[in-house]
Amino acid sequence: MITEILKGFVTTGKVAFQPAQTIQYPEQRRPVAARFKGRHELKRYDNGLEKCIGCALCAAACPADAIFVEASENTDEKRFSPGERYASTYEINLLRCIFCGFCEDACPTEAIVLESNYELSYTDRHDAIITKDKLLVAPATGQPTTPMQVEPGTFDRPVPDMKNPD
Amino acid sequence: MDQGKHILFRHRDIANIRDLDVYLAHGGFEAFKKAVTTMTPQQVIDEVKNAGLRGRGGAGFPTGLKWSFLTKDSFPRYVVINSDESEPGTFKDREILTHNPFQFLEGAMITAYASQANTIYNYVRGEYWDVVAGLEQCVAQLYERGFLGEKLFGTEFKLDFYHHRGAGAYICGEESALLESIEGKLGQPRLKPPFPADKGLYAKPTVVNNTETVTNVPFIIQNGAAAYRQNGTEKSPGTKLFCLSGHIQKPGNVELPLGVTLRELIYTHGGGIREGKGFKAVMLSGASSVVLKVDDALLDTPLDYESVAAKGAMLGSASVIVLDETVDLSWVILKTTRFFKHESCGKCTPCREGTYWMLSILERINKGGAAKADVELLQNVASQIQNKCLCPLGEFSVTPVLASLKAFRGDFDAHTADGAPKTAPKKAAVAAGD
Amino acid sequence: MADQVTLTIDGVSVSVPKGTLIVDAAKRIDNDIPVFCYHPKLKPVGMCRMCLVEVGRVMKDRATGQVVLDDAGQPKIGYGPKLETACTTPVEPGMVVVGASQKVTDARDDILEFLLTSHPLDCPVCDKGGECPLQNLTLRHGPGKSRFIYDDKQKNDKHVPLGGPDDALIFLDRERCIQCARCTRFCDEIADDHVLGFYQRGRKIEIATFSEPGFDSKFSGNTTDICPVGALTTADFRFGARPWELTTSASICNHCPVGCNTTFSTRREAKSGGKQVIKRVLPRQNEQVNEVWICDKGRFGYHFVESPARLTAPLVRKDGKLVEATWDEALTRVAETLKAAGSALVGLAGGRLSNEDLFAFKQAVTGVGGKALLDAQLAGGELTTVVGVSVGTDLGQIGKGTAILVVATDLEEEAPLWWLRVKAAAERGATLIVANARPTKTDRHAKHVVRYDVGNAVSTVAGMLLEGSSEYATAFAQAENALVFYGREGLDFAGTQALAQACANLLIETKHVGRANNGLIGVWTSANAQGAAELGLTAMPATPALLAAARAAWFMGTDPLGDGRLTQNDLPPFTVVQELFLTETAKAADVVLPAAAWAEREGTYTSGERRVQRFYPAVPAPGSARPDCQIIAEIGKAMGATRFGGFPAQVFLEIAKTVPAFAGLNYAAVSAVAPQWPDVGGRDQYYGGASTTNLQGLGVQLPSAAERGVVPQAARAEAPKLAHPVGTMLVLPVAKLFDRGATFAPSTLVHPRVPAPFVAINPVDAERIGIADGDDVELALDAATLVVPARVTADAPEGVLLLPVGLGVDTPEGPAAARVSKAVRVAV
Repeated sequence: MITEILKGFVTTGKVAFQPAQTIQYPEQRRPVAARFKGRHELKRYDNGLEKCIGCALCAAACPADAIFVEASENTDEKRFSPGERYASTYEINLLRCIFCGFCEDACPTEAIVLESNYELSYTDRHDAIITKDKLLVAPATGQPTTPMQVEPGTFDRPVPDMKNPD
Repeated sequence: MDQGKHILFRHRDIANIRDLDVYLAHGGFEAFKKAVTTMTPQQVIDEVKNAGLRGRGGAGFPTGLKWSFLTKDSFPRYVVINSDESEPGTFKDREILTHNPFQFLEGAMITAYASQANTIYNYVRGEYWDVVAGLEQCVAQLYERGFLGEKLFGTEFKLDFYHHRGAGAYICGEESALLESIEGKLGQPRLKPPFPADKGLYAKPTVVNNTETVTNVPFIIQNGAAAYRQNGTEKSPGTKLFCLSGHIQKPGNVELPLGVTLRELIYTHGGGIREGKGFKAVMLSGASSVVLKVDDALLDTPLDYESVAAKGAMLGSASVIVLDETVDLSWVILKTTRFFKHESCGKCTPCREGTYWMLSILERINKGGAAKADVELLQNVASQIQNKCLCPLGEFSVTPVLASLKAFRGDFDAHTADGAPKTAPKKAAVAAGD
Repeated sequence: MADQVTLTIDGVSVSVPKGTLIVDAAKRIDNDIPVFCYHPKLKPVGMCRMCLVEVGRVMKDRATGQVVLDDAGQPKIGYGPKLETACTTPVEPGMVVVGASQKVTDARDDILEFLLTSHPLDCPVCDKGGECPLQNLTLRHGPGKSRFIYDDKQKNDKHVPLGGPDDALIFLDRERCIQCARCTRFCDEIADDHVLGFYQRGRKIEIATFSEPGFDSKFSGNTTDICPVGALTTADFRFGARPWELTTSASICNHCPVGCNTTFSTRREAKSGGKQVIKRVLPRQNEQVNEVWICDKGRFGYHFVESPARLTAPLVRKDGKLVEATWDEALTRVAETLKAAGSALVGLAGGRLSNEDLFAFKQAVTGVGGKALLDAQLAGGELTTVVGVSVGTDLGQIGKGTAILVVATDLEEEAPLWWLRVKAAAERGATLIVANARPTKTDRHAKHVVRYDVGNAVSTVAGMLLEGSSEYATAFAQAENALVFYGREGLDFAGTQALAQACANLLIETKHVGRANNGLIGVWTSANAQGAAELGLTAMPATPALLAAARAAWFMGTDPLGDGRLTQNDLPPFTVVQELFLTETAKAADVVLPAAAWAEREGTYTSGERRVQRFYPAVPAPGSARPDCQIIAEIGKAMGATRFGGFPAQVFLEIAKTVPAFAGLNYAAVSAVAPQWPDVGGRDQYYGGASTTNLQGLGVQLPSAAERGVVPQAARAEAPKLAHPVGTMLVLPVAKLFDRGATFAPSTLVHPRVPAPFVAINPVDAERIGIADGDDVELALDAATLVVPARVTADAPEGVLLLPVGLGVDTPEGPAAARVSKAVRVAV
């Protein structure tokens, strides 16, 4: 009986001085996996133009009907994305979203991407509907933001850098 | 043809036969007068049927039979002569129209009489504007002399002749597209049925014949079917104009009886291959041909419709393009495909998209940088087009491609990175004069 | 059952009428042969080669003509060496068609691969995505991976306006076009507007428009329905929404009396602040009314529903100003005053109100002893209830043996789909007689074109009763069936009554009444004037005399002050206006009640062919606007004049109880559907892209009084006298489809195509007076003096000026004499 008790104490002692596994969140944050599906972001091209062309395929693919898209026309004076079409309204209802990533798979231009932000809490249900301004990433340093004025004829195609597969 | 025996190229026997008086002095318009004053239209048709004259535009369809297809009791009727002559390698009609115009006109006029038509349209390709100018003068002279117009030879028969110039479209050599063009519409082929013999020009029965075909008719009416059958073979009677071009010593037109062998045509009349080179391949019907590899068996083939068909090719318009041993068939096919792609009317999907696709593949092959898979792809695409097109242009665009890929695959593979043979290709099989 | 041909398609036997094409025979047994260039309403061309199938025919001995039998004693079937196009091959007895073989599947795969080689990768940005036959067929037959190098793709112009960049209604994307020629064939064969054609050849072949303004056709929008890809799209619906995001509601166009069946596509969107809005209008298939077509006015003329100028709350005049009030307050005020007015109440309703509204209106007004009238410029409504067309009338079925008289109207401008159907009937052999004082587009297909002097329509028609007076009179009298379309060109109101009577007399005398495809059709200026006539509302244009003795007036859906027919002084002491907008009449009223537009509620319209058709709500009404019949029912109840509830379905049942022509009808009957042929817009979407299947109602035709046993009597038709003093010319008001009317003006995208005011003058007259094209012309009429720019054209007869109505110039009610001179610009 004493041995059992002593064994227990030894275990306690061993573990007591082991380094703690606890991560002190929020001061420390555990890095997420490369394919972690967190909050969405609408990406841009290197030249500052938005990748999203307002095609609403993400909305169609979404099993939870969480995405709402309205499209409008680009002009060379006020250009948001390459090609004729851009998303003038883009909303995601994070309360509906199940973070499955189908929108990311459906997107033809790799515009909508699920990133690594998982800190999504709100005090009002309306705050759960994130609009385009909150989804769009900032342009790279030195690049203009959208809408931008461009040389007519430079961005005629909706997917400018398309290459032949393999 | 021996001197003095020409039926079609009589200008090579008789100087100045393009002068109306000279033509008349040599029996001109006696056949027409004979037909109009002493024969019924049916008798004319029967004579031409018995003569076995076949269409010289390429299809080789029996002419008399074609005339007999006109829908009964439907008038007015039209005769349309197809002088569009746009097949690459074809220049025979031009010589007739320039140098022996009155025989052609007489033949067309007899055709109109046989068809009970009172109007003839001669559709000439736009590039022959100078030829048309000359022809219009000839027609004016015929009106003056009473061969055209009202009450010809004191009968009730009246006849008018009009020229209509094309505007640079090979597709308008296809008979239904030609009729569309005359009607002022877009030159695209029509659906068949209905056929022109039933609903042709302006939806009336129409006979469409080639220039050379009708130029045979005066001889037949003047001298009879039996005389016509003195030349040629049983199934392909008469003489044919052969257009020689390519690597031949003496390019040009020559009139010979049907059934002359390829050997005789090339070496006796054409002077053989230029610079004595080897004879690699031949295209017998212009760009639309099955490209044939030349060997002794082929050289001994008689050139008539049946014998050539037995070889898997078509005699067509007998536009013989000669290719010597220096020729790279993939370059030849690039040229023919570029031609068909340019001339495609765009109405049906396989021809419009397919010729464009074949051309882009061929350009890549010829430029270098293509792979063997591209040559496979070309074969595949060409087969995909076959048997799906609305009119013969699409079908014929594929014929030389498939034939060349079959007989001269090495020429194509030589351009590819992974298909070029390790050893140099063998020289062409046949040397000069064999 | 004569002339039926039996054949086998993919093992299934089917019997179809002789002359049927294989592709249609297959459709009958739900075998969908894929097509692109084929459309059942167009002549087949066999261009796209997608419908290639194996065709086997019964073999016959060449010499004897006998059928060759096989060992089992069955007819031997010989297959052709090549696949044949199903869309151009008519069926033959004993034919065997195979579409389900590997050979055919490979052929379809091949053709589709060809089409995709240069088709751009536009699906994400293309409006057709989701309702695109090419997309659907690609899923079935397309290669998963392209063998065509992307850089080799033919590049072409995209988003080409067919017209100027600011006036184009239709845009063309040349890269997406698969050269099926449906659009060019539609324009040539159906619309008879040769404004679209092919340009260039081979791979470079492209669509081009040959008119100024571009694509100048009143039916241009239909090409966007039949285009199998997203090459032709409307400017109206550009990037509007994806088809799967749209909700559809059935409706009936409310612009003209044809009553085309339409579909609203609506969506709740953020752009409009979360409101449900109409994104587009599409045709709905009804083979007896509009087939699968609508005109551009119906397609692009719905924006007034969502105009920000819509009335949203009742207004009551207090201290000389109109201020917002509650419904209770407004309705009480109205009911009290109108009841007090009693027989001195005049109610004037417009023709775009539904049957329910008009019926309730009549019951309420007459219930207190007042007069309920339809504010209209074309009389003869009550005649059409007697000798109008009977049940079973279908313009799509008439051809040889039918005579159609079109008198005093320009059908293409006033009722475009009737023009289209009459033209098609003429092409099928109907004897078309067009009588007018000037040339119209209907002349092109007429067997007889009758020209008379302005104003002589009545005597011309009356003259047709004289036996042997003319070839066309004889043709009309001897035809098995006869229809008369009559309008108001060259006549004042009284004149139109006389014309209607003359036409009725003609039909009665020649025994063309009381049966299908015979009768009188009025080319009304509004959608439901026929309904008003059926419900017993007398047509009467608003004039000061009408209101002289009135103590109260109730205007519903009509704006006489805005139209210049009344002034404020003509209005009685109390005026109620029930309207969509704050019109001129409303501004002068004492109470203004906001009404719901037709797209915001349900109801029924009666088309000019006497077909009752139901429309459904598409979007909610703005503010507190209510349906007209609901407002009226409340007022009626408060006045003690009516007792029925205000919901349209209830009112309709009342109509069925009260009006003999509507006996036995209810909403269920009006909404009944049956399968239609050709099967356009079905599940395969091959023939359209946007679905036009009709699942909401084909409508019901009302029996005419003649059909119900009333014997129609001819009556005197007094030809009107037209004052034409020496030295004057006649100003003839003519209708234009695209105008500045209240229900069309808010559709700003069409504004560039609405002509600026002009007057058409003959070159001879122009020279005589010294007017060049574009000069201002002064027209000194009795009633007013107008200054309008001139257009010199031979379309105007000599001595007559054509003045289009509704373009912003106050036109006289009927033809009027005027002294014409070149206007002198006064420098100030």
